[in-house]
Amino acid sequence: MNLAILKPGEKGRIVRIGAIGPLKRRLMDMGVLVGEEVTVEKIAPLGDPIELTIKGYHLSLRKREAEGIAVEVCR
Amino acid sequence: MKTQMAAVRPLVAVERSVRIAVAGNPNSGKSTLINSLAGSRLHVGNWPGVTVEKKEAAFERRGERIALVDLPGTYSLSPYTEEEVIARDYLVQERPDVIINVVDVTNLERNLYLTVQLLELEIPIVVALNIFDEAEKKGYRIDVPAMEQALGVRIVPTVATKGTGLDALLEAATEAAGNPSRHRPRRLHYGGDIEAAAEALMAEVLRRSPGLAEKYPERWMAFKLLEGDRCVIEAAGLPGIETMTARAAGHLHSAHDGDIESLMADARYARAAGLAREILTKPDIRKIELTEKIDRIALNRFLGIPLFLAAMWLVFKLTFDVSAPFADWLDAVTAGPFTRWTRVLVGLVRGPDWLISLVTDGVIAGVGSVLVFVPVIFAMMFFITFLEGSGYMARAAFVMDRAMHSMGLHGKSFIPMLLGFGCNVPAIYATRTLENPRDKALTALLIPLMSCGARLPVYVLFVGAFFSAHSGTVLWSLYVMGIVLAVLMGILFKRTLFRGESPMFIMELPPYRMPSGRSLMIHTWEKGKHFLLKAGTYILAVSVLVWFLLNLPWGVEHKKDSYMGTVGQAVAPVFKPLGFGTWEAASSLIAGVIAKEIVVGTMGEIYVPEKKETPAGPAPSLSADLREVGTSFVEAGQKAFTNVFSTAGIASISEKGESPPERESLRAVMAKTYTPLSAYAFMTFVLLYMPCIVAAAAFKHEFGTWKWFGVAFVYQTILAWGMAFIIYQGGKFFGIGG
Repeated sequence: MNLAILKPGEKGRIVRIGAIGPLKRRLMDMGVLVGEEVTVEKIAPLGDPIELTIKGYHLSLRKREAEGIAVEVCR
Repeated sequence: MKTQMAAVRPLVAVERSVRIAVAGNPNSGKSTLINSLAGSRLHVGNWPGVTVEKKEAAFERRGERIALVDLPGTYSLSPYTEEEVIARDYLVQERPDVIINVVDVTNLERNLYLTVQLLELEIPIVVALNIFDEAEKKGYRIDVPAMEQALGVRIVPTVATKGTGLDALLEAATEAAGNPSRHRPRRLHYGGDIEAAAEALMAEVLRRSPGLAEKYPERWMAFKLLEGDRCVIEAAGLPGIETMTARAAGHLHSAHDGDIESLMADARYARAAGLAREILTKPDIRKIELTEKIDRIALNRFLGIPLFLAAMWLVFKLTFDVSAPFADWLDAVTAGPFTRWTRVLVGLVRGPDWLISLVTDGVIAGVGSVLVFVPVIFAMMFFITFLEGSGYMARAAFVMDRAMHSMGLHGKSFIPMLLGFGCNVPAIYATRTLENPRDKALTALLIPLMSCGARLPVYVLFVGAFFSAHSGTVLWSLYVMGIVLAVLMGILFKRTLFRGESPMFIMELPPYRMPSGRSLMIHTWEKGKHFLLKAGTYILAVSVLVWFLLNLPWGVEHKKDSYMGTVGQAVAPVFKPLGFGTWEAASSLIAGVIAKEIVVGTMGEIYVPEKKETPAGPAPSLSADLREVGTSFVEAGQKAFTNVFSTAGIASISEKGESPPERESLRAVMAKTYTPLSAYAFMTFVLLYMPCIVAAAAFKHEFGTWKWFGVAFVYQTILAWGMAFIIYQGGKFFGIGG
């Protein structure tokens, strides 16, 4: 399961970040860390990017970047 | 202004100024805070060698000299983005006396992540807990003494938009700078493993190269080496440093899959999260915030795009309709009274005719062509700053990113491209909203393909002469051609000049906030001022050059014999395969580099030389002129107002689309010298050939180098010639319109 397939309103816990190098560091700097809870808020009108809440703020990522973030769905 | 005054004043004592660096996350209100702190003393420039904005201010406060530097807004001090590298290089190399760290209390944890990293630098810090009012309104409770205790630094609650707490902040900062030993920030413990590895590494590195302790804060350096930070490893220049690091981090490596960078980020975030938990109590019931309510509509699946387009239409209309009357006013004043009185003045000192002509037709006309851009740049900067400051710019990028990404661009590229249809110059300036240098350059390169308002008079002339039956369709076809070519060129550039991974799109959607009037004014004013001073010089130089070309040798009877005519004759054969290989066309195109609408004016002068009209009656007196200048300014204001409300279209542009009656004779000459096919080829060429010099100056000014203008010049010249060639030769081959 990865972040890109979560539907709006669904919540997940990050289990692994597949990215490497600058992308990974950037994600981590923005608070996208393993163990963090993340909610998908919206998908942009054209289908990409997506909007998340993480650490209490709103963040948007392209689906390509979100695909590399493995999550387990929280109920 | 005041900074210079302070410098001139005799110094009371040889006093060193307190150097304060302001650091913080984007959207933390840092910009507003520094605007309020520095006010009119703010100096806006660029960091050397890059396009990132640098704000500085120097002033005196209670007998102490203060030098304030605004660091780029960053989320972290990692070595990957331009902004982060600038911020940390400044902090590490320049070692300011104190850092003011602006923290958005409503987003405490992520903001503290940067604070934690700033603490590592062991420079005295004062934290501004900004947007404090909003946090209180949300029912947040913040334990300021506990926070001071935990970090070992002074904490000052502030509301930058209202100026609250700023005096106490400066007071705390100067105090901390004066007493660095008492204000050394606390070392936050990152856990036994990391601390032990850092200590071991530090000891080893300093044993081999004790000098490094002078260069970097020791502990910070150890962390950076462990993280594998390229910049620090290279700068340290210690042979075998990688093995040293590997040895020190041996245990960490095996326990964490070798990814120490993530481990460090985790450790820092753990401290930030712990701090946030300790000092911040949020109410149990969370209200649905205004931002979320707005976004339900603004980012809605079905409404998102229509609303965005409506907002963009409004910005476009306001930018061009409000500025146009003032541009016309400036144009009329420089061409009318100003020119008239300069002529009188030069006449008084018995200046020869050629001098009068040089001053009025060359210099003043050149100054005029700079001035007319000022209103539109002011207006554009105002609205762009508003969009950014309010938080809507990020939403615009969110909504448009998919479409723009397909041609290698960023969601934020849309707005500059759109502004390009009004005028390419403010559009190029608007690319500064893009953070990534690659996105920025690519966007700016494609902007000249958006057919700007200055090209319209050229189309109108030709469409009126050849295509009056299908005028709308022909006009549209040109605009569409520009857009299609922009898409194709975008894809081409993405695969060639800008090959490689497209930059990541990881963007915060900040809460909607009302930007402060002060910030809006400062940004607008600075941009307009810079344009006048920097870009103005180039434009003036080229205007004078063109004057020389058109008027020398002095006293030429026929334009054909002027230098411009000579150059036109020499260049004309190049245009032969395009269907307009005449010196008249070539000369007009050359003159058009000042501004594309000048093509029409020059054609008028060349094809239908007008008799110099002698003004009827005596020239108006100075006082009459001054009165006229004043009343026409008021009229411009009224016009701007009515432009906005009179029509749903863009009033200032549809006016340009009207052809004045005196063009009738020119149109008749055109109909004889061109065929519909060569006319269309000519219009295509005008659409695509090199950007005007004002746009060139904007390129230079915004990027600090001529490189990107050079690229635009080369590809557009090729594109213009190629497209016109295909159209003309293709048309001839199929026997259309010839």
